[in-house]
Amino acid sequence: MIGETAFRDYLDELKKHTPYDFSEYSDNSIHRRIRKILKDYDITMQQLLEKTKTDEDFVEKVVEEITVNTTELFRDPEVWTSVYDKLYSGIKGKKNINIWHAGCSSGMEVYSNLILLSELGFLDRVKVYGSDINARMIRQAKMGKYALKFNLAQLKAFNKALKKKPILGISEIDFTKYFDFDESEDSLVVKEFLRKIPWFVKHDLVQEEVPFYNKFDIIFCRNVLIYFNASLQSKLFKRFHDQMFPGGYLLLGNHEGMSGFYKTKFSKNGPLFVKNNSFHFKY
Amino acid sequence: MFLKYKAVVIGGSAGSFSVVSKILSKIDSGFPLPVILCLHRLKHVRSGLLESINLKSNLEVIEPHDKDSIVPGKVYLAPSNYHLFIEYDGSFSLSTEEPLNHSRPSIDHTLSSAAYFYRDKLIGILLTGANKDGAKGMKDIADKKGFTIVQDPATCDVDTMPKMALRLMTPSKVMSPDEIIQYLNQLAR
Repeated sequence: MIGETAFRDYLDELKKHTPYDFSEYSDNSIHRRIRKILKDYDITMQQLLEKTKTDEDFVEKVVEEITVNTTELFRDPEVWTSVYDKLYSGIKGKKNINIWHAGCSSGMEVYSNLILLSELGFLDRVKVYGSDINARMIRQAKMGKYALKFNLAQLKAFNKALKKKPILGISEIDFTKYFDFDESEDSLVVKEFLRKIPWFVKHDLVQEEVPFYNKFDIIFCRNVLIYFNASLQSKLFKRFHDQMFPGGYLLLGNHEGMSGFYKTKFSKNGPLFVKNNSFHFKY
Repeated sequence: MFLKYKAVVIGGSAGSFSVVSKILSKIDSGFPLPVILCLHRLKHVRSGLLESINLKSNLEVIEPHDKDSIVPGKVYLAPSNYHLFIEYDGSFSLSTEEPLNHSRPSIDHTLSSAAYFYRDKLIGILLTGANKDGAKGMKDIADKKGFTIVQDPATCDVDTMPKMALRLMTPSKVMSPDEIIQYLNQLAR
């Protein structure tokens, strides 16, 4: 096992020689990811360091390995149900609804949400943005092409959940409206009309300024902050807060919470964090 | 009271629900250590397990949130579809990275990270199961001189998991569920 100082030294070097800074990622997680890279590539820490300094393509691979890309269509079915029960009254009167999926990976959550927005009749009013640090994931998100078998099971599970607990009257979704299924290719492709709605951009949430001028009504950032240490988490809560309309909604992962100062700037409504109207607290 | 250990971590898979329920229903209500549970669970069945375990438990069972601190006398159950780790500062951290041994949560991940943090102050227990998950984690605990207990394969619903562990390491004890309960309760008496 590589020592604790070795992986910290590596992160310092990575920061020095590349645009990437993982120094505020959660220790355990980053240490484990680096150990995995050493094992998968069968290289030593010294070799990893050399390659990082000299090989830009390799650095992109390291970033892909370090960042976690788990996402699913309609992940956590019961969360979607309770989210829309709470959200609906807040957004139904709006002319424009701005949504940001921060750390969107391959875009499955973005499309899942678009399908629900379509079913609920909001599609012509939404502006949807997806951002991720991983360029390969952004490319896949733009293509909207996923493996059929695994995802079909996800869709079925979601319809099953809907039947049990409908979302505002929707108890089943006909997914052939939204996807082209190709069994011979084992693929499922998001239809053109849906695919052209979101704007996907490669963006490092930690390092780069927010690349949008507009503020948001809803921000999804699910299972991204778990890879960051507490102080970096706080910075991002501030960033989200600044980027949201008062009354805007923030959805984190199932087992993510908010701590520190920004906890007082949001109220909890079911799984959603709602930005408080800060009018009274202005100074 | 001086305690030799700071935490108990328990891994289990097929058949382990009833063993864990039994342990928690017989454990002293003043048990002074945190108990960290990593059990394989069905991906699409999120709810239920926590509630069922809590029903008979003498200690409060909760699913931790990311960065939660670890409190003695509480039982922490790895949430469905997340890996559960002990951070270097002794708090919990969660991850949705790829499954290990086809499992998320993976017992190896939880056990190994606990071994790294608690070292010889950890008790690791591996229960019945049909998978090799947990064997490597138990070895890591043993390597750090923690106390290791493997459930006696003869008392297991499915003995693959304990047997895989026994192949990889020599535990401090091989015990039946009743002996495990007795052992845990005498720690603080």
